[in-house]
Amino acid sequence: MPDLESQLRSALKRKCAPENLADDVMARISSQPALKPGWWSRAGRLVRVPRMAWAMAGALALALIVGGIVAHHRAELDRSRGEAAKAQLKEALRIASTKLNGTWKKAVEPVRRTPPS
Amino acid sequence: MVFSIAYHFFHDPTTAEDVSQDVYLRLYQNLAAILSPEHMFQWLRQVTSRRCIDLARRNPARALVSLEDAPEPTADEMDSDPLLARKVRRVVAALPEDARMVLILRYQEDLALEEIAEILEIPINTVKSRLQRSLAHLRDRLESVGEISRHAGP
Repeated sequence: MPDLESQLRSALKRKCAPENLADDVMARISSQPALKPGWWSRAGRLVRVPRMAWAMAGALALALIVGGIVAHHRAELDRSRGEAAKAQLKEALRIASTKLNGTWKKAVEPVRRTPPS
Repeated sequence: MVFSIAYHFFHDPTTAEDVSQDVYLRLYQNLAAILSPEHMFQWLRQVTSRRCIDLARRNPARALVSLEDAPEPTADEMDSDPLLARKVRRVVAALPEDARMVLILRYQEDLALEEIAEILEIPINTVKSRLQRSLAHLRDRLESVGEISRHAGP
């Protein structure tokens, strides 16, 4: 016995349209008044250039996004450079401080060891 | 395709022709929105489905014609078992509109469930449940008259 799905495919297979359907459709189209372009149609013509406007809008959006990413990256780079500069300055001050401390110690301790006369 | 969807939905060639004319007129009016041939087919299926379901809901008396009043099958649609095919169509025609359209899109247009969900703008789980319930109903109705075997097919 045939299975249900194959029976459904057989029973619901495409049925041909009557031969006069195309003529009837064309007759209805011909009897339609010419469509006046509405304001939306006139505005739509600005973007009706075949997909070009969408492609341009997409390219612009992409350029903006890429530009934003680049700007953000540069800001991050500047910030990190600033942080590095700060770190270097701190290190320099520490070293300088150490050296100064060492020099100070060398200069001061002998004086302290020498009892006052 | 358009005529066929409407025909299997209403089982009435006159209504199917009216629906087809409406759909093709709308296509003409919306040609600028069609992006490709594939898009056109998708658009036609969607508009036809919507039109059929809306018409059936607005005018239940017109929703379908009894199979006794349906015209005799022509040579191009002779089935291997015309009586069984008529019974299948009768049971399909008695289904609720939404379930009926799911079956037509699945077995006439051979669409995947995701495509049917997109065309009818319903969740895919809804498509699955309608399909399963419809198949179960069909199976029960046809098994009771011994037309199909319980153990054949899914």
